[in-house]
Amino acid sequence: MAVYDVVVIGAGNGGLTAALTLARAGRKVALLERHNVPGGCATSFVRGRFEFEVALHQLSGMGTERMPGPLRGILSEFGVLDKLEFVEMENLYRVVFPGGIDVTLPTDRQGIVEVLGGLFPKEKDAVASFLDLVYTYSLEMVQGVFFRDPLISKEKYPTFFRYTFRNVEDVLDEFFTDPYLKAILSVYWGYTGVPPRLMPFSDLAVILWAYIEFKPFHLKGGSQALSNALLDAYLKAGGEARFNCAARSIEVEGGRVRAVVTEHGDRLETSYVISNASTVHTYLDLVGSHRLPQDDLLKIKGRTVGPSAFTVYMGFDCTPEELGVFETSNFIVATIDMDSASEKMRTLEPQDWAMFSCYDVSDPDFSPPGTCQGALVCLQYADPWYRVEPHAYAETKYRYADAMISLAERVFPNLRAHIEECEAASPLTHMRYLGHPGGAIYGFDQYAKDSAFFLTNQSSIEGLYHAGSWVTGGGFQPTLTSGRSTAHAVLKAIKGR
Amino acid sequence: MALKDVLHDIEGYDELEREIEILRKYGPDHVERAEEAARIMAVLHPPRLSLKVSEIIEETPSTKTLRLVSAKGDLLPPFMAGQYVNLFVERDGVRTSRPYSISSSPTQTAYYDITVRAVEDGFVSRLLLEDTRPGDVFESTSPAGTFTHNPLFHGDDLVFLAGGSGITPFMSMIRETADRGLDRKILLVYGSRDPGDIVFKDELERIAARRKNIAVHHVISEPPEGYTGLAGFITADLVKRLAGDVTGKTFYVCGPAAMYERCLAELASLGLPRKRVRTEAYGPPKNVTAQAGWPKHVSADDVFTVKISGGRVLSAKAGEPLMVSLEKAHIQIPAQCRSGECSLCRTKLLSGTVFHPEGARLRKSDRQFGYIHPCVAYPLEDLEILI
Ligand SMILES: Cc1cc2nc3c(=O)[nH]c(=O)nc-3n(C[C@H](O)[C@H](O)[C@H](O)COP(=O)(O)OP(=O)(O)OC[C@H]3O[C@@H](n4cnc5c(N)ncnc54)[C@H](O)[C@@H]3O)c2cc1C
Ligand SMILES: Cc1cc2nc3c(=O)[nH]c(=O)nc-3n(C[C@H](O)[C@H](O)[C@H](O)COP(=O)(O)OP(=O)(O)OC[C@H]3O[C@@H](n4cnc5c(N)ncnc54)[C@H](O)[C@@H]3O)c2cc1C
Ligand code: FES
Repeated sequence: MAVYDVVVIGAGNGGLTAALTLARAGRKVALLERHNVPGGCATSFVRGRFEFEVALHQLSGMGTERMPGPLRGILSEFGVLDKLEFVEMENLYRVVFPGGIDVTLPTDRQGIVEVLGGLFPKEKDAVASFLDLVYTYSLEMVQGVFFRDPLISKEKYPTFFRYTFRNVEDVLDEFFTDPYLKAILSVYWGYTGVPPRLMPFSDLAVILWAYIEFKPFHLKGGSQALSNALLDAYLKAGGEARFNCAARSIEVEGGRVRAVVTEHGDRLETSYVISNASTVHTYLDLVGSHRLPQDDLLKIKGRTVGPSAFTVYMGFDCTPEELGVFETSNFIVATIDMDSASEKMRTLEPQDWAMFSCYDVSDPDFSPPGTCQGALVCLQYADPWYRVEPHAYAETKYRYADAMISLAERVFPNLRAHIEECEAASPLTHMRYLGHPGGAIYGFDQYAKDSAFFLTNQSSIEGLYHAGSWVTGGGFQPTLTSGRSTAHAVLKAIKGR
Repeated sequence: MALKDVLHDIEGYDELEREIEILRKYGPDHVERAEEAARIMAVLHPPRLSLKVSEIIEETPSTKTLRLVSAKGDLLPPFMAGQYVNLFVERDGVRTSRPYSISSSPTQTAYYDITVRAVEDGFVSRLLLEDTRPGDVFESTSPAGTFTHNPLFHGDDLVFLAGGSGITPFMSMIRETADRGLDRKILLVYGSRDPGDIVFKDELERIAARRKNIAVHHVISEPPEGYTGLAGFITADLVKRLAGDVTGKTFYVCGPAAMYERCLAELASLGLPRKRVRTEAYGPPKNVTAQAGWPKHVSADDVFTVKISGGRVLSAKAGEPLMVSLEKAHIQIPAQCRSGECSLCRTKLLSGTVFHPEGARLRKSDRQFGYIHPCVAYPLEDLEILI
């Protein structure tokens, strides 16, 4: 029988970095993945002459070589930096609203003040003070929380203590009057799916700060290159990986993890498990609700499964310029009523918020010469898709995709005419490939009550830990970071035993 | 002092803590979400199907339709016209698989039809045509493949170019169009060797007679004496003559490997943009050593050793896909398209080199990190792979 120090379930971002951290620390690790490729969301697929990026639109936290961000630090610690080529995006984003508002924000603070000051002259100073707040808040948060200042207090970090749980809408109202200005600055709400009225200011501040300070990035070969590099480093560190091999159950005895059994019936004995699968699946299916400590049931009780996504992947037979696309990241928003836009994420109606990424703008090698590709994405809950009759699924999916292309064509009128390959992915597609309830790509909804302060990466079953979006919130940087920190917690526990 | 000691000083923290308390008491507990993904996918896209042959229909002297029902007795998953299932079979102690397009209409899933034509020396086709009886049970993948009508950019003016058994995906599309009264214009140009070997001849003619939007033309490559219909191969001239102006039309091509080479070259002379020509996967090349880029110093009969990391060593012919050599050694790896495009067989190559024909669709970073698609990967020297 096989005995391991740690079994890691799932080779998404969180599972990969957890497994790699453990293997590099000399532990005997088995990594189980149900799918046949590593990455979870962080993957790609090929159609015709295009390789479509599934998930990564803007990578946060990289920073430049001169000014490295936290993610660059982690990847260099893992020894994968020299295998990957990162591409910095020139601008933060272009956002287009109805009524002729069309603005591109640069990635530097002063530049943003100038651009928005030009459009909203009366509010130029307010923009500067808002960005001051974003920066002050984020720096206090990094200093006080990230670096664990032992002297943390309300007096020392007043902004952090005051603003963390304020909602974005309130804070924007405090600074601005023009609704478009507010909408431009909070357009990243669509990344988390929580509208400004409910989104904690801490989330928006940290997203904005991280992208401005460390710049948005993409990488050559897309997120699959990152997943492949992490897996490669893991194998080189002596780790064992099994693909097409889902965990079927986690055996628990006397309140402690004993083994993991795979779908093929193999039993892997271990005292430690890190699960990158959803906590819902881990607790209810792998451990089993009848064997689950009340405490774990409570950890997920009352939390709501977050959004999945709908993406139209398009390969075009022309260059970005010919399409009229000049920015990598483009938000196309049909209303400034974000509450109604976020409600639509629960319906199959045409959506009001979409993001169109064209990687070839910043990386001309991304697609074959003379072509380019675009990923047109919006967040979508799975619930309305459950009500679609199996036989009506394909038709429904195409109708939905068609409406999204129409939304994008308000800004880029020629998209359809240039499509050479095209594939659409619904919440059910994400569910099929990830195995998560609701096909959720960020774990649970990310309301203030779901922020890191209230979460733990540990089950009350001894030896069972979690990594990834279901315990940190979604996104590349958070999930990649989370695997590493969960692994450190496990290494500490192993030492202590 | 640490953060946990001052949490209550964060504005709003206490309220959120109370909210969480209430939700833990009254909120949803997710118990109804147990096995959610597995339950939903069991209906839409189960990893494996168990298919029972319910009827065998003789179509032509060389071709039979196997009507397959769920061995469990339930409905089969939905599919899109043009998709295939990969059927697993065992013959002479070797477990292998072959993809077959579903030829029945997607408007019902009480059964899938697959229509199999005899292939000279065919390992699996012979088993299916000669040694299969009603009641036999096969395992298969769920329906897969992208040779389907995509309304987002294909338009509604379609030209189907079929050769031999390549009629099967088109049959499903034509049946669907007729069954649902879809507003699509279809021109089918169907090449067969001789008039007696035209699969679905009567049904195609019936549909074409009843539906104004569907036209069918047969082209016979080896016409018997006195044959008055279209003869020869499908050429650009013929297509132009039958289809008229080709702008805005989308062409679909499906047939044996030899037909692709000829047909795609003919279509190229019509100046169609790439997006207007859709081709089905067509399996490994018949003679890989004739492919562009094949190294001259290796011949098809060269034999190399393949070491499975931490396991057995087997031998593999250069001219045979690695997947086939593995199967002959009773080693199974996942398979679906067997044409290099679905990536399901993706395997890590630890040492050695392989040849991939041009159509193999590998991810850029898979090439960088040494992954191969064994269904279309041919060993050029001794190999070590990780399974
Ligand atoms: C369309 C889209 C766009 C996105 N855009 C961005 C973006 O621009 N920027 C950004 O930062 N983030 C973005 N994200 C989010 C980000 O990709 C995810 O939040 C993150 O990758 C999730 O990582 P994770 O560690 O939680 O693992 P996941 O990716 O959720 O992977 C979990 C893994 O566990 C496996 N698994 C599940 N159950 C089992 C089992 N029983 N046994 C074995 N394995 C199992 C799954 O197969 C999967 O591989 C996007 C996501 C999507 C889909
Ligand atoms: C997506 C798709 C859909 C398909 N749909 C249909 C369908 O609807 N109906 C249908 O009849 N067929 C269909 N096919 C073809 C089918 O999958 C089989 O390839 C066909 O039945 C022949 O299989 P076989 O085992 O009988 O022949 P094989 O044993 O595979 O032999 C076929 C020929 O190749 C040669 N050969 C044998 N082994 C090898 C090898 N290892 N490498 C190279 N050449 C070799 C043989 O000498 C023979 O001439 C489809 C193929 C694909 C890819
Ligand atoms: S089986 Fe599809 S790529 Fe090999």
